Amino acid sequence: MSTASTEATHGHDAHGGHDPFLAHHFDTPAQQFDSAKFGMWVFICTEILMFGGLFVAYGIFRNQEVEIFHLAHERLDKVMGAINTIVLLFSSLTAAMAVRQAQVGDRKGTDRALIITLLCACVFLVIKFFEYKHKFHDGLLPGHFFTAHLPEHAHNGHVLPYRASMFFALYFMMTGLHGVHVLIGMGVLTYALVRNRRGGINKEYFTPVEIGALYWHLVDLVWIYLFPLLYLVG
Amino acid sequence: MMSSSTTPADSTHGHDEGDGKVHAHVSSPLFLISIFAALIFLTIVTVAVSYVDLGTANTFVAMLIATMKATLVAAFFMHLRYDKPLHTIVFVASFVFLAIFLLFSLDDLRTRGRIDAVNGGVINPANGQVAPGGIQIPAAPAGSAPAAEHGEAPAAGGEHH
Repeated sequence: MSTASTEATHGHDAHGGHDPFLAHHFDTPAQQFDSAKFGMWVFICTEILMFGGLFVAYGIFRNQEVEIFHLAHERLDKVMGAINTIVLLFSSLTAAMAVRQAQVGDRKGTDRALIITLLCACVFLVIKFFEYKHKFHDGLLPGHFFTAHLPEHAHNGHVLPYRASMFFALYFMMTGLHGVHVLIGMGVLTYALVRNRRGGINKEYFTPVEIGALYWHLVDLVWIYLFPLLYLVG
Repeated sequence: MMSSSTTPADSTHGHDEGDGKVHAHVSSPLFLISIFAALIFLTIVTVAVSYVDLGTANTFVAMLIATMKATLVAAFFMHLRYDKPLHTIVFVASFVFLAIFLLFSLDDLRTRGRIDAVNGGVINPANGQVAPGGIQIPAAPAGSAPAAEHGEAPAAGGEHH
């Protein structure tokens, strides 16, 4: 697209070329917004494929050790997992609300919704911390750190076979990588929050909130699959 | 794609009105809350079903409900429903490739032992001699002959502990 034709069709624009939120290499705010969103969707695609490797590993090992995975998954706390699911779903709602409020130009509302989302993220991580602590205490760990097959770690008079350590290797890798994504998502949302507070977000330009929320929904999507696979069906 | 457009105004359309401004769909708070309520309902259903023993159907039901939840989040929270179809294509494509990855890997492991016997095995069935090439199958521990049916290497690896 030549610069000449850009001038010709956009000369009549009220803000023609002087929009502080329009980067010089884009013709219009809509084109800029669409580019950002498309880039984010391609990135989400790569994220799904990254987690995909772990999901495939889970599928293969579970297929080989169905009974052992079932025994091992009973040592996870379903209630804590369910509470964390609800916390994440609620944070997804508030992230969607943050975008909605930004779209209608409600700066205070965006602010509030982003802060609630960040608080939910903290609650999620605190619950996860207590779950991890409990696993460490019971020796439910990957590889040679696994000690739940020893008599002192018997649970209701039963010990797990040593091979159950594979389940916990996958549990820690999958929830750990997801936890890292929660932390990164908190960083992205904090950035959107700071931009919003400084007045960098308005009805015409809310890309940081939109993209941050998309990332946050991705974190939620991954958990939607992790929760039943690890906590419910094992 | 963009270069085929004749004017910049054309290149900015998609779903918007061609004035170059961002025209994103605005969801009502009540609508978003109802999607959240549906997600919570499905979470309760999936937890409840996990207490009922349906055999292998448990996994199927859990994955079906998870996919329903993921669809709700992607379509309405992530606005795919109102976006350009291109975004949906990109998103769905990642799952298609993930399915290829998973199914081919599982199929490989499921049939590996069977194929080794005729194809990659070390014994030439014609003369009973050790054939050149092929995969050196580790000796199975005594009394675990059926292990040869499905992938000896991982099973044999597990026996050491």
